[in-house]
Amino acid sequence: MSRIAKLAAVASAVAAGAFGISACGDDDGGGGEGDTLIWGTTDQPVSYDPAGSYDLPSYNVVFNVYQNLMQVPPGGQKPEPEAAESCEFTDEKNTVYECTLEDGLTFSDGSDFTSEDVKTSFDRNLKIADPQGASSLYLNLKDIETPDPQTVVFNLKASDATWPFLLTTGGAAIAPAEYPADKVQPSDDVTGSGRYQLEEYEPGQQTVLTANPEYSGDDPAQVDTVIIQYYDKSSTLKQAVEQGEVDVAYRSLSPTDIDDLQGADGVDVLEGPGGEIRYLNFNIDLQEGSDEQKLAVRQAVAQTIDRDSIAENVYNGTAEPLYSMIPAALQFHTDAFADEYGDAPDVDAATQTLEDAGVDTPAPLEVWWTPTHYGPASGDEYAEIKNQLDDSGLFDVTLESTEWNQYSEAAFTDKYPVYQLGWFPDFPDADNYTSSFYSKDSFLNIHYSDPEMEKLLAEEKASTDDATREEAFAQIQQIGAEDAPTVPYIELSQVAVAQDGVGGVEDTLDPSYIFRLWLISKD
Amino acid sequence: MSGHGTSLRGYILTRLALAIPTVLILLTLVFLLMRVAPGDPITSALGGRVPAEELERRKEAAGLDKPLPEQYVEYLGDAFTLDLGTTINDDREVTSIIVENGSATLELTIAAFIVALAVGIPIGLLAGRYRDTSIDVGGRMFGIVVYAAPVFFTAFLAQLLFSNVLGWLPSSGRASPVVEFELNKVTHFYLLDTLFSGSWSDFWDVVKHLILPAVTLGLLVSGVLIRLVRVNLLQTMRGDYVEAARARGISERRVVVNHAFRNALVPVITVAGLQLAILLGGAVLTEQSFNWPGIGAELVRYLNERDYIAVQGIITIFALAVVVVSVLIDLINAFVDPRVRY
Repeated sequence: MSRIAKLAAVASAVAAGAFGISACGDDDGGGGEGDTLIWGTTDQPVSYDPAGSYDLPSYNVVFNVYQNLMQVPPGGQKPEPEAAESCEFTDEKNTVYECTLEDGLTFSDGSDFTSEDVKTSFDRNLKIADPQGASSLYLNLKDIETPDPQTVVFNLKASDATWPFLLTTGGAAIAPAEYPADKVQPSDDVTGSGRYQLEEYEPGQQTVLTANPEYSGDDPAQVDTVIIQYYDKSSTLKQAVEQGEVDVAYRSLSPTDIDDLQGADGVDVLEGPGGEIRYLNFNIDLQEGSDEQKLAVRQAVAQTIDRDSIAENVYNGTAEPLYSMIPAALQFHTDAFADEYGDAPDVDAATQTLEDAGVDTPAPLEVWWTPTHYGPASGDEYAEIKNQLDDSGLFDVTLESTEWNQYSEAAFTDKYPVYQLGWFPDFPDADNYTSSFYSKDSFLNIHYSDPEMEKLLAEEKASTDDATREEAFAQIQQIGAEDAPTVPYIELSQVAVAQDGVGGVEDTLDPSYIFRLWLISKD
Repeated sequence: MSGHGTSLRGYILTRLALAIPTVLILLTLVFLLMRVAPGDPITSALGGRVPAEELERRKEAAGLDKPLPEQYVEYLGDAFTLDLGTTINDDREVTSIIVENGSATLELTIAAFIVALAVGIPIGLLAGRYRDTSIDVGGRMFGIVVYAAPVFFTAFLAQLLFSNVLGWLPSSGRASPVVEFELNKVTHFYLLDTLFSGSWSDFWDVVKHLILPAVTLGLLVSGVLIRLVRVNLLQTMRGDYVEAARARGISERRVVVNHAFRNALVPVITVAGLQLAILLGGAVLTEQSFNWPGIGAELVRYLNERDYIAVQGIITIFALAVVVVSVLIDLINAFVDPRVRY
């Protein structure tokens, strides 16, 4: 054998040996040991300053590091005091909202948490108005008074019964007054009063939280250290789960990944009610025909879509049929679309609807969707919808798609006649699922306007009385179903996967979308 | 001799001078492409949640509505002073991305390169030495297969076999999460940092995480090297000086190793160097497949988010790296081979 061949053989042997040693070695994936929990996610945060973010990945840390005056409790639907001892409207018009802070609150650096911190948190959020932030949610705030260190008074410009809900949002988390007034605090140097404190942040790699020793609430962190490990793709996250490299996987595994993990040893797939909905939008100005014909087409689509089929065939049961823009788990939800059109596809009724309006069938429909924003199942979702509508013989659907950046401009600037959207809430209240879509000033720009709808939206927003709001929302949903400017079809469940020995994850899976790490324990 | 030195100096100066318009063209192309592509970072993040007027206001606040010429001049000025700016979306210094994620890519690239050389050169030599035998056929087929196989497919197979089935190696990441957290990142090269920390278990953890991605990427490059080494060896073996060596009674082994091989390596150095430069920017698929937090993966993320500042900064560094490496290779070749001159 030539010297070269011998060298090649030696090199191969060394390589094989390296593999062999690694095979024999302890390569337990590294899921946290002892008091360390590892949470794997594909979400990537923008900022850990409440004034600099308006996205779920950032809020997943914000809610654990900071406190809000009000919070939505686990499994709850109504805001309750968190950092506040009590909060209430003090006037009849619901424009003055006063909160009294809990005693003895401190930030993780030991500094006192006072009303001044609350005031500066909101003031700087509105002043900075960061392009990535949520300041637009608080524009109804006129000013804040702080008569003493324990008291905060919010003066609103207009009546807003949802203000307590707004105080539960990520942008309303309370930061120390020392944060800069005119720019966003760096994400690796944030301080809050929540159950956890930020230990380290490496963008794109991991965020590390440790239990905040200064936290004074009665629900402290149960695990000392949480490492949030970021993954580019759901498939690599799934592999990490299978190898035991992560203790919990939350956001976002694909439906097929979840299906696969259902039968895996040592892991539990946990589901909870979600508030993420999927719906079709009709740009009324771009629809063809008379107003009556346009309405007929929208109604016929609502009558034809098979929601059960989408939920089962595309989402493998991790979604539920949706018959209202308000998710089923939320207060004031009604199955308005089912009441109006039935809870199963009714092609005969759709045929009649179109005939009565003089719509020739099959009616052409150009439907747009995007493959790069709503998860890997979007393609299957819209292929299913197209098949359903085409197979009815009533429609001739042309599917078009484009990536999110182009889509998110074109959809709201009168380019797409019918298009896909999804929504998850700013806060778990029916208002966030109705005024956002049915108002004439809606970001959807679908040119839908109904005076009765506007009146009802104003009514529910101004009232704190459940009975009044229930009645208003019932009518809102009924009108929404009758007019069908948007057609909801599914709501997605929240899904997390946890290794054996990890508890409490299911307790935090609720429509608020707050991933409460302090509820999670590890044996 | 002085004529040779002047000529070499002239070549060096000319080569360096040519690098400047190369970089300028690259930077301009990047700038224009990012502006031509639809979308912007604000709409990417918040489209579908806030009204169009609010989006416009936010875009103005982020300075995305400045006139293009103004943006271009600012961009060039910043690029030439290496002030790469701060990302729009997540407020990161672009230089920190280059350092932290660039070191991850460099570590992977160097490891892959070592694999490529260790696999590609011996197989290429064997294939050339034993031309038209089963060794030659096997070597060439191996080269074709590893080069033709999509890297993400190879990655998938490797993860399936070595991670899922055998459980020998981790499937993703640079290190286990706890090791990553506890590591004191002095150089951001985890192999070095774990050695400095003195923890052999951490070092071994990092090595295990590096094996699959380095081998996956290295095999791809080795496919190029196998054919290149083989072809060049065959060419040099036909040279007169090789015949002369044989005629002097030198053994075939010594002819191949001492005479043909070294001369065959000269063009291989050129290509290998260029491959290294390309790998620095082109390891994206490997990084994504293995969740390797390299600069390629970050580039894809910022591209999807339409973060102009981040993309421009990263591409600027890529461009500069490729230009520097290609200039260095040309200079090395000119130094080694006096025929290489303008």
